[in-house]
Amino acid sequence: VTTVTRSYFEDVVVENVEETPAMTLTEGHVSIYHGLTRELPPDAALVPDLLPLCFTTGLGWRVPKPPLAVLAFMGIDWQVLRQLRVGDTIHSRSRITTKRPMRDGGVVVEEREIIDQRGEVVQRGRFTYLVAKRAKENPV
Amino acid sequence: MAELRRYFDDIQLGEEYDSPGRTVTETDIVIFAGLSGDYNVLHTDAEFMKQSIFGERIAHGLLGLAIQAGLFARATQAYATLAFVGLRWKFKGPIKIGDTIRLRAKVVAKKETGKPDRGLVTVQRTVLNQRDEVVQEGETDLIVERRA
Repeated sequence: VTTVTRSYFEDVVVENVEETPAMTLTEGHVSIYHGLTRELPPDAALVPDLLPLCFTTGLGWRVPKPPLAVLAFMGIDWQVLRQLRVGDTIHSRSRITTKRPMRDGGVVVEEREIIDQRGEVVQRGRFTYLVAKRAKENPV
Repeated sequence: MAELRRYFDDIQLGEEYDSPGRTVTETDIVIFAGLSGDYNVLHTDAEFMKQSIFGERIAHGLLGLAIQAGLFARATQAYATLAFVGLRWKFKGPIKIGDTIRLRAKVVAKKETGKPDRGLVTVQRTVLNQRDEVVQEGETDLIVERRA
C-alpha cells in the first residue's frame, strides 16, 4: 500500500523561493471564468483581475513536491499593478516569509508574485494558511 | 441615452448593496478545479474529506472570492472602474456544496488620487451563507473614473 506523502508545518522552509512553470492566458480561460462567476469584462481582450490570482495556486501544484497539509486558507492581501490581456503568459514566484506554531497546526505566510512574459511583476501579495502539524502516530 | 455606468462623483460614501443569492454547486467546484488547476483534496476528494473537520468537500476560497465579484456586478449598476488595485480578504468559514451565498457591500472610503480624472473607492464586502454566517469578508480598492 502506498500513501500520498504530504508535507507538514514542521517541513515548511522559510525564505525558500519557488518558481512555477508558465501558462498563456487565453480567451477560453476568460470565457469559462465568466460563465462560472458572471463577472463581466469591460473589454473581451482583458483578463479579469482575479483570474490570474486564481491560477497561482494551480501553477504551484505543477512544481513537483509533496502537497502541503493545508487545514484552512485564512486570508489574502493582494495588489494588482498592471492589467493583463488575453495572450499574456504568466508564472508565479513565491517565498514563505513567516511560520508561527499554534497549538493545533501553525500559521504560514507566503509572499506571492505574478510575473508576465516581460519579467514584470503584474500582481503581488500575501497568502496566509493554517497548516497541520505532523501527527505523532504518522511520522512520515 | 441613459448613463449606464456610475462615476466617482455619483458614488456616495456609505452606500450599501445586497446581491441576489447564489447556490454553490458541485459543478462550480469541479469547473473551478479544472480552470485553476487546483485539485487540492479539500475540493476534490469526498472520501478524504469525510475524515476532515469539514466532513465533506468545500469550495476553493478563491472560488468564493470570484463568485462574490460576480454577485457585486449583479448588486449594483456598474462603476466606471478603471482598475481593480487592491484586496484585503479573510476566509472565515467553509462554503459547502449546496450552500447559498450572497454579498452585502458598503462604500467605506472615497479618496482623491494624484490624477484629477479619477478617484479611489474602497468597498467593504461581506459574503454570507443561508444561515447568515459570514464565510468571507474584506475590502477591495477600485480606481473609478470621474465625470469629465
